[in-house]
Amino acid sequence: MFCYQCEQTAHTDSGAGCATSKGVCGKDEATADLQDLLIHLLKGIGQYSTRLHAAGTPDAAADHFILFGLFTTLTNVNFNRARFVELIAEAARIRDRVRAAYEAANPGAPPLGGPAAFTPATDLAGLLKQASPASVRAGIELVGEDVIGLRSLVLYGLKGVAAYAHHADVLGQTSPEVGAGIAHALDLLASDPTDVPVLLNEALALGHLNFKVMGLLDAANTGTYGTPQPTNVKVTPVAGKAILVSGHDLKDLHAILEAVKGTDINVYTHGELLPAHSYPNLKAYPNLAGNYGTAWQNQQLEFAAFPGPIVMTSNCLIEPQPAYRNRIFTAGPVGWPGVRHIANGDYSQVVQAAQALPGFPETAPEKTILIGFGKDAVLGVAGKVIDAVKSGAVKHFFLIGGCDGAAPGRNYYTDFAEKAPQDTILLTLGCGKFRFNMEDHGTVAGLPRLLDVGQCNDSYSAIHIALALANAFECGVNDLPLSLIVSWFEQKAAAVLLTLLALGVRNVRLGPTLPAFLTPALVGVLVEKFGVLPITTAEADIAASLNRAAA
Amino acid sequence: MSEREVTLVTRDGAELRFPCAAKDNVLAASEAAGYFLPAMCHEGTCGLCHARVTEGKYTMGPHNSAALQGGEVLLCRCEPDENLTVALPYNQAQVLRYKVPVRQAVIESMEPAWQNAVALTLRLQPDPEQGQAVEFSPGQYMELTIPGTDIRRAYSLANLPNWEGRLDFLIRLAPHGQFSTFLREQAKVGDAITVRGPSGSFILDESSVRPRCFVGGGCGLAPILSMLRHLGEFQDSQPTHLIFGANRESELVPQSDVEAVTAALPQIGVTLAVSAPEENWQGFQGTAPAALDAFLSQTDEPIDIYACGPPKMLEAIEILLQQRNRDDRLIAERL
Repeated sequence: MFCYQCEQTAHTDSGAGCATSKGVCGKDEATADLQDLLIHLLKGIGQYSTRLHAAGTPDAAADHFILFGLFTTLTNVNFNRARFVELIAEAARIRDRVRAAYEAANPGAPPLGGPAAFTPATDLAGLLKQASPASVRAGIELVGEDVIGLRSLVLYGLKGVAAYAHHADVLGQTSPEVGAGIAHALDLLASDPTDVPVLLNEALALGHLNFKVMGLLDAANTGTYGTPQPTNVKVTPVAGKAILVSGHDLKDLHAILEAVKGTDINVYTHGELLPAHSYPNLKAYPNLAGNYGTAWQNQQLEFAAFPGPIVMTSNCLIEPQPAYRNRIFTAGPVGWPGVRHIANGDYSQVVQAAQALPGFPETAPEKTILIGFGKDAVLGVAGKVIDAVKSGAVKHFFLIGGCDGAAPGRNYYTDFAEKAPQDTILLTLGCGKFRFNMEDHGTVAGLPRLLDVGQCNDSYSAIHIALALANAFECGVNDLPLSLIVSWFEQKAAAVLLTLLALGVRNVRLGPTLPAFLTPALVGVLVEKFGVLPITTAEADIAASLNRAAA
Repeated sequence: MSEREVTLVTRDGAELRFPCAAKDNVLAASEAAGYFLPAMCHEGTCGLCHARVTEGKYTMGPHNSAALQGGEVLLCRCEPDENLTVALPYNQAQVLRYKVPVRQAVIESMEPAWQNAVALTLRLQPDPEQGQAVEFSPGQYMELTIPGTDIRRAYSLANLPNWEGRLDFLIRLAPHGQFSTFLREQAKVGDAITVRGPSGSFILDESSVRPRCFVGGGCGLAPILSMLRHLGEFQDSQPTHLIFGANRESELVPQSDVEAVTAALPQIGVTLAVSAPEENWQGFQGTAPAALDAFLSQTDEPIDIYACGPPKMLEAIEILLQQRNRDDRLIAERL
């Protein structure tokens, strides 16, 4: 196995990357190798799919499968070896189908090589023997670290784009352009590209594509569940039976709320599902009681202490502890061997488990937090915001967004939020916010100082806010008194970073560490060409941001 | 001094003490003592188990120094060289403590199983604090207390974790056993019994990619049935074989149980081994270990062997594996 796709990847004397029998995330060697093989086959589908798209005859089912397949390989999503054996067989069938369509339309065309021609073994032992050429490190002795790093940037960015596209897809928002863009990137990767400018351009093209995908996702969420509104969310438990829903998927949460309708079971959100409370069509359910817990890396303690079943709808899952292994369920792309998986949207088992489990014995003294500042809510008070900036009441905006994680260095983000001066506004999104969103940050110029934009899935909303403010101030985004403090952990964040770079947003402070797959030369490109800044200390970075604004 | 004492001090001042063997790390020792600290990778990389040693010498195993803040250690890589005091950066509420639950149940049914065994089903009594869920890992056991005494006996669960409060056991009636005597002479449907559990480490390693062979003798089939039902429920696709040994055909597991397992796990191969069969016996003639020996002859691939049965059966398997000297792994529980 070799994997260095996430921020917590192993760092040893021999370099970065998880290369032992088990990754830091808990993914074992067989699962990692099978994920590499699945991606190899998806590249093969992409080779044909990009040609079918060009001919105007795309295979929509193949496009859906690519999104789902890539999503299963994100960090902390699917650890179930058996599931990957099935997905590989399904990928081979789909690849054969798109090959047949391509060959029927192009009789006499020379056969495509590489992943397009790969035949996977039919059993686990055979598959594991085939894995090594499918590794991200394959060919490193010929092409060098920089090319491998850039291919990884494209692949990991692509995974993030696919994950967001899948979230939009399950709510019925898709477009052929997305399928075509993803197939194009897979086709490029299938050719084992070595041309650095070509790879960099593809990374930026994915950034642009991701902006469109996130627009679709925003339309999917707001179109289905209404426009997010500022909402006070209870973060303390209520006496009674309880279900906890984690991950990002609003549709799964909606299905669970439907399943408990008419019962007295309280449904709590966890982690990245906190923003669900701001959607009118979700908060209308009386069973949606509040939010429990914080970000993903604390789940082992939080889930163990939760007195009901837990449903993990998307990333980030970590190894379920024996204390709650019998009462955690996975849905969608998520999986763990020996953990019950709900594939058909039927949550009756979860309801049954909730009724059998004790629930919360008593109601805790109530505490609430304010969320729901998506683009419509923020731009609804745009006049007030603009006046506050013009009058000098608000000096600067900090967008502190992205993933949380376990590493001690992530205290930086807590420090940053605490030490940012009182005349600044903090925008936040993603699960990184749990490092500071339970504190009262007060108000400035009649506005809450902390504005929670939503999930990492709502990055579109944040970018939209920035673009609208730039428009109002008649300047570029980089001229706004706005600094982006982005914490990354997994591949969705890689896709958002590519979007920021593609849109020309400079001076993104990226941390807590830089991606291990970026070589010093590639980091040099990001720093020089795109103004990406590694983080230092909260104090120094706040001062530097304010100085830049003043200059 | 081969064993050190570790004292963990939480941020709110609670002290947790436990022993730590030489070359063992603090995190593993704490888990062995029933204290589960925040931790994730267990490999010195993720940084979640960071803490500060305030007293005592230690050695740090291979780890990612970038995951450390100044002067701290990662408990998963910290091996005490002497008694150690460690300050934890969180409160005692953050430490999970595993306590074995004690519950009240009633006898729902008692049916004769095959020769000399009873299929006992208990139902947990409703409890607002603990609920009605039966949570365990297939292969684990519960301790049942004979009513009116302090006598406890451990029996493996044969069914799956469930939310109906149902506990199934397969209990061999030993001629002079105390629980057997209770079952034979005293127990009746509706009686209350105290159950303590789940406990035990005879559980599946679901991360292993090896083929699995289950070997059961007598009521050693109970935990194996639970494991096989679990694999069936999760549509496990790993190559799997079941060997069940008995002295006579009449002591074999009922055909209906075998059929239920093969229906849920289509890939499973089954060997019924009888050491003293009737004349027309078509199956394997010999003991369960002899059947395992024959099975191993057919494969070069190392396998995981899950065995539960009488001590004699397990000793024979251990000797057999020593003689064969392969890379197989034995996960066993003695009856």
